[in-house]
Amino acid sequence: MSTHKKENLKEKVLELEASWKRALADYQNLQKRVIEERIQIGAHANEMLLRKMLPVLDNLEKIEEHLNDSGLKITIKEFKQILKESGLLEVETDQKDFNPHEMEATDAIEGEKNKVLKTLQKGYFLNGKLIRPARVLVGRGIGE
Amino acid sequence: MSKILGIDLGTTNSCMAIMEGGQPKVIPNAEGGNTTPSIVVVDQNIVGIPAKRQQIVNPKNTVFSIKRLMGMKYNAPEIQHLKKDYPYSIVEGQNGLVCVEVEGKVYTPQEISAKILAKMKTDAEKFLGQTITDAVITVPAYFDDSQRNATKEAGQIAGFNVKRIINEPTAASLAYGLDKKKNEKIAVYDLGGGTYDVSILEIGDGVFEVKATNGDTHLGGDDFDRKVINWLLAEFKKDSGIDLSPDRQAMQRLKDAAEKAKIELSSTMETEINIPFITADSTGPKHLNIKLTRAQLEQMIDDLLQKTIKPMENALKDSGFSKSDINEVVMVGGMTRMPKVNEIVKNFFGKEPHKGINPDEVVGVGAAIQGGVLAGDVKDVLLLDVTPLTLGIETLGGVSTPLIKRNTTIPTSANQVFSTAADNQTSVEINVLQGEREMAADNKSLGRFMLDGIPPAPRGVPQVEVKFDLDANGILNVTAKDKATNKEQKITIQGGTGLSKDAVEKMVREAESHSSEDKKRREDAEARNLADSLCYTAEKSLRDAGDKVPSDLKKEIEDKVKSIRDVLQTASSEDLKQKTQDLSLSLQKIGQYMYGSNNQDKDDGKDKDKDKNPNEPVEGEVVE
Repeated sequence: MSTHKKENLKEKVLELEASWKRALADYQNLQKRVIEERIQIGAHANEMLLRKMLPVLDNLEKIEEHLNDSGLKITIKEFKQILKESGLLEVETDQKDFNPHEMEATDAIEGEKNKVLKTLQKGYFLNGKLIRPARVLVGRGIGE
Repeated sequence: MSKILGIDLGTTNSCMAIMEGGQPKVIPNAEGGNTTPSIVVVDQNIVGIPAKRQQIVNPKNTVFSIKRLMGMKYNAPEIQHLKKDYPYSIVEGQNGLVCVEVEGKVYTPQEISAKILAKMKTDAEKFLGQTITDAVITVPAYFDDSQRNATKEAGQIAGFNVKRIINEPTAASLAYGLDKKKNEKIAVYDLGGGTYDVSILEIGDGVFEVKATNGDTHLGGDDFDRKVINWLLAEFKKDSGIDLSPDRQAMQRLKDAAEKAKIELSSTMETEINIPFITADSTGPKHLNIKLTRAQLEQMIDDLLQKTIKPMENALKDSGFSKSDINEVVMVGGMTRMPKVNEIVKNFFGKEPHKGINPDEVVGVGAAIQGGVLAGDVKDVLLLDVTPLTLGIETLGGVSTPLIKRNTTIPTSANQVFSTAADNQTSVEINVLQGEREMAADNKSLGRFMLDGIPPAPRGVPQVEVKFDLDANGILNVTAKDKATNKEQKITIQGGTGLSKDAVEKMVREAESHSSEDKKRREDAEARNLADSLCYTAEKSLRDAGDKVPSDLKKEIEDKVKSIRDVLQTASSEDLKQKTQDLSLSLQKIGQYMYGSNNQDKDDGKDKDKDKNPNEPVEGEVVE
């Protein structure tokens, strides 16, 4: 076999080895991610459904505010207890500084700068992940 | 060579993807979204969704649509126009170029874009668990040299080694594999969140050339949403007399609902927009509840859609081609999901546009493919074959048991342990099958062989391991090994997958058309197997139990076994299932007797112990 041919073959072997290693690495990384994603799917399996249900909870709370009915109040409490047990946690906004990582500003109004002045829609975490930011009115400073 | 990240650096949203195992994969950002809003809070280094959420509180420091400023001169008319519209401060920088001023500090558009790119880099690295330094970034086809250079600089500031800047329509075409076509003409229709572009490309020898580009830099999805919001406002005012437009909260809810309705109407003909407690007046709370049909929506936005036609005509004219010259049409941007948009483009070019790749991600995907080509990932991509039909063996009752399912990527291997069907069976026959049908007789037999020398044993005891190994060339090696003696037999089947496409399709079609009767036959066979195996167990249990079983129960079981055996080959599966269940119930009685008598044995034992040493207390027993 000529040296040239040998060199060519050597190169080919190196090339093949490199692509084989890359494919193997891609596969192993994929495996790791699949495991991670599976864990996440378990944790966030309810996320899609909850996202759709949260507006209904908002409305129930609005109705309750309006009707002030004790039966409805208990029912909402029970409903929220179940959601809490499933890992749903309200974003705390009361007296807090505005935090864009958990809240969305609907408007800036006169008041203490960067403070949450009113919560228009509650925000929620599901198992530590923000699934809906709280919608808030934020202070833009006094006299500005 | 390390991976190359493909980035679609958009006016409103950006997207990134990478090649993995020869396939493009979109990488989600840290917030979990596949696209990242191109918005930056400059002084706080907040990028993406959180930046968008605080836009209204901090309008002067929140920079959006920075792409419109890239590489532009300050005195350009469009910049002067933006300066009036945008809440952040647009100023003149060095060499007459446009800059942004935030909190007294001047930033170039490159620096702002770099913040978006840097976030994407960080998020990608976190997701992939490896450092990324190389990137391919896309730009609109109409970007001039200075705009392209500015984009490249932005990448460099973000810490990227920018391997290439490519045109967005080229990236979209790459995503659909159009680089493999020869001498074709492609139209790319891109209706995004805030801009509309149409480009005509020509491809020859894998190289794309932009022949013409046209569009409207201020037309996009947001305009369509606004139409719906305005309609909702008018309808509500007509109903209740209340104008919602000064109410920020109500407007926010209307915007959400309008976007949701627009999306829904891409797949349904009618949707209901419900916003309870949208406002209140002296008479009490007010709710919004309006039906919107697809036809109404299409009528509402018709003028916007008509506005996209003229640029198509202009681009085509500039390219020097006629409509009939266009071979492929590619759709980009979320708005192209709307059936009406598809219809307009289809009618204009007289061709069904390419669909299938998420139109929000198609440019990012194309950029990743370009990155893959540069990294050598794509050029030499090993095309792995799949096995076109299921491979398996025949098992008891003529059932076809699959080992390798169709569409499995090869090379692959699979193994499963089988056993014997009769007592003292010393050989098994392995019948290798190919096909989708449930019963062995309906599938193609690729070959058969015997494994003998299995030591005599009751049925179900011997363990025969059958291994299928299908190599990259479709050559199938089947090995059967008796685990007790390690004796093995094998067969090699050449070209088992070498069927013509038509033959494969025919077999798959046949399997589909016979699926319900096949399933029934398989169920029958399985019911027979189960009945037969239970008869065997019953007889064995009776033998093992000996006299511990009362003779009337013994007779009952023997009768039931006989009644099954008599009709085993003729009865329906329902009938057999019923009889099997009956027998199973009687068999449970054997267990009761066995345990009952065992307990008695134990008691006897205890008594014996007591006799041996009557003074020693037995745990748990009261000694008087």
